[in-house]
Amino acid sequence: MRLISRILAVSLFLMFCSGQVLAKNKLKAGFIYVGPIGDYGWSHAHDVGRKYAHDKLPWLESVFIESVAESDSTRIIDRFVQEEKVDVVFTTSFGYMNDTIKAGMKYPDTHFMHCSGFKQSKNVGTYFADLYQMYYLNGLMAGALTKSNKIGYVAAFPIPELIRHIDAYALGIRAVNPKAEVHVRWIYAWYGPDKAKEAAEALIAEGVDVLAFTEDTPAVIEVGQEHTEKGKQIYTFSHYSPMQAYGVDSVVSGQLVDWGIMYVKILKSLKDGTWNNKDMWWLAAEDAAILGGTFDEIINKKFIPDLKAVKVNTPDLGKQSVYDLVVKRYDQMKQGVEVFDPFVGPIYDNQGNLKIKKGARASKGDLLSIMYYVDGVVGSIPK
Amino acid sequence: MLRLKVSDRQEITTLHSFLTLVFSIVTGMLAISLIFLISGANPLYAFAKIFTGSFGSIYGIKETITKAIPLILIGAGLAVAYKAKFWNIGAEGQLLLGAIFGTWVGLNLGESLPFYIIVPLMFLAGFIGGGLLGAIPAILKIRYSVNEVISTLMLNYICAEFLTFLIVGPWKGKTKFGFPYTDDLPESAILGVISGTRIHYFTLILGILSVLFLGFLLFKTRFGYEVRVIGENPNAAKYAGISFFRTLLIVMIISGGMAGLAGVGEVAGIHHYLSYPASISSGYGFTAIIVAWLAKLNPIYVIISGLFFAGILVGGDAIQISLNLPAATVFVFNGTLLVFLIMGDYFLKHRVKLQWSRT
Repeated sequence: MRLISRILAVSLFLMFCSGQVLAKNKLKAGFIYVGPIGDYGWSHAHDVGRKYAHDKLPWLESVFIESVAESDSTRIIDRFVQEEKVDVVFTTSFGYMNDTIKAGMKYPDTHFMHCSGFKQSKNVGTYFADLYQMYYLNGLMAGALTKSNKIGYVAAFPIPELIRHIDAYALGIRAVNPKAEVHVRWIYAWYGPDKAKEAAEALIAEGVDVLAFTEDTPAVIEVGQEHTEKGKQIYTFSHYSPMQAYGVDSVVSGQLVDWGIMYVKILKSLKDGTWNNKDMWWLAAEDAAILGGTFDEIINKKFIPDLKAVKVNTPDLGKQSVYDLVVKRYDQMKQGVEVFDPFVGPIYDNQGNLKIKKGARASKGDLLSIMYYVDGVVGSIPK
Repeated sequence: MLRLKVSDRQEITTLHSFLTLVFSIVTGMLAISLIFLISGANPLYAFAKIFTGSFGSIYGIKETITKAIPLILIGAGLAVAYKAKFWNIGAEGQLLLGAIFGTWVGLNLGESLPFYIIVPLMFLAGFIGGGLLGAIPAILKIRYSVNEVISTLMLNYICAEFLTFLIVGPWKGKTKFGFPYTDDLPESAILGVISGTRIHYFTLILGILSVLFLGFLLFKTRFGYEVRVIGENPNAAKYAGISFFRTLLIVMIISGGMAGLAGVGEVAGIHHYLSYPASISSGYGFTAIIVAWLAKLNPIYVIISGLFFAGILVGGDAIQISLNLPAATVFVFNGTLLVFLIMGDYFLKHRVKLQWSRT
């Protein structure tokens, strides 16, 4: 009896120790998503990134929670830290910013990574993958393909990120087609397939034949595909997730994000102790922003002949087809913003005021707070 | 031929009523178990997780109380309206309008006034906001026979859009970097919390006091008697000369006003600024409908049922994290339980018999 109890005690002790060792080697991450992971947009892309990190990092454990209202993030952070004992929390919406900073003070031994914010502290870092360059490349294609010279954009909320994307899109359009203009419709929702559909239909009714958008579902693409099937070609650009499958005859290209490589980098740095709180603002050069409506091709094959047929003159690269221009600009962007960036002056707002001087490049700060429409966008930003 | 015979039950005892409630909850839980099973989760494990996640730890209890505050306030107000058989589905909108009114007071007067003046003022404004919105469907129903289910429900959307209009337009904060939020409320207008929690105790105390007051009003006063007569026997109420207009108007001002108080509590206690409608309320106005039903339309029991449903909301996070069930599971859970509660109510009030008849 005594022997048995002793064996039991020793084995229990061993189990406890090995559990401890195991726990030390693991790293546990908690992800907080603002939307449903099935939205096929923002939250979906983050969850794809989480799963990618899982495949790459055998020592990673993770938990996630979807559809967390901005006001509820504190509750979830508390649960992640106190109940789930995570080592790092990823808060993936701008609205979680203040609560993430507060949580950083409350839990000094836990790390926090806040997506899209601008506040850092000792144990709180920020990260973001920005798509404005991809919108520029989409704009080049939109400008070449439009017949009506009216190009549409279905937009979520009038915040700097969206304005930056609309402006980059317009700069791309104007680089190949000085006559085309961009019409914007605001739907005031990140997730609003019904509203996005309505806005897309309204734009088409006004004569728009190309559509880009910021909304977390393929609704706009479905509208484009429907019209195209009925005989009226509408070109669309996929947003955030690979949505080309929803509109094989309509999607020309799009903007894609790879959060996975970012998550792997962040988690590795936490694991080996090289983490710091410096803002990570990743673009094409870091392979975080990717061109395409699917991860397999940057431009839908169906539209390549049309894009090759349109020739355009550029100051730096000479005369060539729009297809070649897109490929070259994308390549330049991958080399870095110093090689090519859409926001190099002279850039005028749509009232005719010079905003960026000739030869100057907009700084990160300028871009993060941009609140004016560039020349080529119709109307004014809602106040 | 087998026929279904439905007749009114003459006498309903407290025991009968209690047993029906228990039976409804148990059968509801069984139906929910089926849903858990279909989604590949062990129902017993899921229920245990919900319970331990909400009431089983200090962390869970703190959060459950925080979530219960708006549910208790709104649920008690709804109980009063439903007692008069006025189907107010508009608490969500009433909450938002209360939040809007309260925030306006806080933002515009908060700088110059101390907290003991500004906080009551904000809650008063919130009550007026919610109450005014509650009064509209009451007037529409009594004067123009507009169905209150439709009018209260539709006003929710109007309020949500109005709030969105304010935060992206005239009220957009100067300190929020172009994001659609108002500025933060001044320090004096922000409610204190019990340290280490998010429980804004001022609203909690206000909630408990108003629940007690409404319980007294409904069961111990002449006004409460009139409300109940209107609900149970409108014809008798007519013969007795009870003024429908006056009574229902007051009922709806109270019902909407309570939701308005909850709205102020959420803004001043949790968020500290106005943002998207879905962020300010996270569906409290709808969850509170079930809270009122589970409390058998008694404002005092609302405290218990409010805590119960807050627990389900908080425990819902736990099952999402540990079982990877989608976030919508909690809504399915709540909806299923409501259906069973209402069914139970039907069987309580009616005697249903299957019998053979000759024809």
